Amino acid sequence: MNSFQTVIRLALRDYFYERLLSACAIMGLAAVLAPLLVLFGVKSGIINTMSDRLIQDPRNREISPVGSGRYGTDWFSAMRDRPDVAFVIPQTRSIAASMILYNKNSTNPRTLVVSLIPTAEGDPLLEIYGRISTKNTQVVLSEPVARKLNVKAGQRVLGQVGRSVAGVKEQVAVDLQITAVLPLGAFSREAAFVRLELLEATEDYRDGRGSKTFGWTGSARPTGPRVYPSFRLYARSIYDVADLRNMLMDQGLEVYTKAEDIETVKSLDRSFNLIFSLIAVVAVLGYFASMVSNVLANVNRKSRYLGISSLIGFSTGNIIWYPMLQSIATSILGFLTAVILYRLVETLINGLFSDYLSTGEYVCRLSVGHMLIALVLTLTLAVLASAYGAFRVSRIEPSEVIREV
Amino acid sequence: MKKVRSLKDAARDPLAQGKVVRPSRDKPRFAVTGDDVFRLQEVTKSWPGENGFTLTVPELIIQRGEKVALVGFSGCGKSTLLDLLAMVLRPDEAGEFVLFTHKGEELNVMDAWQRRKLDSLAHARMLHIGYVLQTGGLFPFLSVRENIGISRRGLGLPLDETVEDIAHRLHIERHLNKLPGQLSVGERQRVAIARAMAHHPSVVIADEPTASLDPINAEEIMGLFTALTDEYGVTLIMATHDWGKLGERGFRRVEFAFKRDPDQGAVQAKVSG
Repeated sequence: MNSFQTVIRLALRDYFYERLLSACAIMGLAAVLAPLLVLFGVKSGIINTMSDRLIQDPRNREISPVGSGRYGTDWFSAMRDRPDVAFVIPQTRSIAASMILYNKNSTNPRTLVVSLIPTAEGDPLLEIYGRISTKNTQVVLSEPVARKLNVKAGQRVLGQVGRSVAGVKEQVAVDLQITAVLPLGAFSREAAFVRLELLEATEDYRDGRGSKTFGWTGSARPTGPRVYPSFRLYARSIYDVADLRNMLMDQGLEVYTKAEDIETVKSLDRSFNLIFSLIAVVAVLGYFASMVSNVLANVNRKSRYLGISSLIGFSTGNIIWYPMLQSIATSILGFLTAVILYRLVETLINGLFSDYLSTGEYVCRLSVGHMLIALVLTLTLAVLASAYGAFRVSRIEPSEVIREV
Repeated sequence: MKKVRSLKDAARDPLAQGKVVRPSRDKPRFAVTGDDVFRLQEVTKSWPGENGFTLTVPELIIQRGEKVALVGFSGCGKSTLLDLLAMVLRPDEAGEFVLFTHKGEELNVMDAWQRRKLDSLAHARMLHIGYVLQTGGLFPFLSVRENIGISRRGLGLPLDETVEDIAHRLHIERHLNKLPGQLSVGERQRVAIARAMAHHPSVVIADEPTASLDPINAEEIMGLFTALTDEYGVTLIMATHDWGKLGERGFRRVEFAFKRDPDQGAVQAKVSG
């Protein structure tokens, strides 16, 4: 134990005595690691955010049926239970799924016929752009609708549905609150997103039936489960779209997906991952090479002292810690220097691009977990490199080095 | 340990020369061996090749407290024999190669090498051997005090007045807190001698310790060195060019017979003495 402590003492004294050279080794290591951290910071910041956005883009994850079919509640609950389905909701007959919206508050009153699209909690299209209607009398408008009606989120519009029963024209109205307006990029047609209950009531009303929920008169609807002609369905990610499509086609359905767009995004994502993996492998190899050369240079430079330590009577098992401790110290200090440099660059980059970012978004960012991975990697490489150095130390013959000039 | 008169006086005292001085702490324990420190028989070490070299030691017995001078030309194998004795170089063969320590233990050096008990050999080096190189060999990043005390630290002994005492005897006490780089070559050799002796080893091995010094400095340091080993009762084994005053200082000469193999160009050296 005394021997070991003395060797550690020698190593540390030497490290401090040669502080200029030690600092050079530390800076050399930091110079390799800091740009790496910045690169991965950017990868985990803006690149991941961008590719996540593309991969998660609901427009690419949508699977829509071509033509109309007959989908019962069993089919919907089976689809809802699939892990690769993010969201599915029934759609009523398209010919009945429309409504006249009327902006009566404007000095210049306007009306517009819009398609009704069913929505509910978890609707990916609405989730990323705005709030979802939680009440039957709430509505989310597409941008063209809001523009033409000259309304904004928070205002109210009147929804009107008409029918003709035995030649007599009837009409009901419902007061709707606008919870949000979707941007043009999300949905370009004239549509209003409403709860399924309102859609069903609208369809029923047109069929001559009434609705207790909205207080509309008419005959009672026949008992038995409802059957829907269509649906809105979103896969969990673009990588699930192909399988889901195949599954639906096996059921005899004809569906439409954005396969081409998906392929572009996928290949972009794959290319990014490949490029970054290659850079990572080359960088880690370079980092390792830099550490090994550091350790070997140290062992060779110190071979006389190591030989003299052996001559004095320190065991090889203790002496190997002399260069090992020094290279581990260099690794840790190099890592800390690199982290400080990285933080400076990170602050600079995020500051430069702050205008283009919303809150919680970063161009360059590494989590504590990433830092820990980098530290563990550094230490592992340092120990591996030092182990080779230690092997070289164990080969030192004192009688060959102690008389060196 | 008894304090003696001025070491310079001791070095010049004819009564202190030419005989083995045994301090009281080293009572004879090996009746059979006659209190030997090293017993070597038929020890060989060779390096193969065109410029190969073979050192043969038919028999070498070194007694406790003795001063032995290895005498011979450069390249005759003096350093090789010193490294064999210091247990940092593995002999090829040995009929017998034993170190008897002053603690009454017997270390079969050849056996330890063969069984690769390198840690035991390292520990034996630290306990029983001090080594003075021709130049330096000090750690430039440790103070003189730390350099002198390095073996003591390794053995868990305190860096107490022993270090100061030995520095005082070698006239380097005012340099104790300096780094070796601030000292002259002669002062560094004194530090090296102090380092080799500070942990009271059984044997001090010196490889031409004064060869790089001017004659006056060399003379003074050699006097201090031998006086110190005499006083401590340490066995001194020294390779040297300085053949003249060996007898005067009480050294036993060990000669190296030397012949070149005409066919292979290899050198063979044989120790006798």
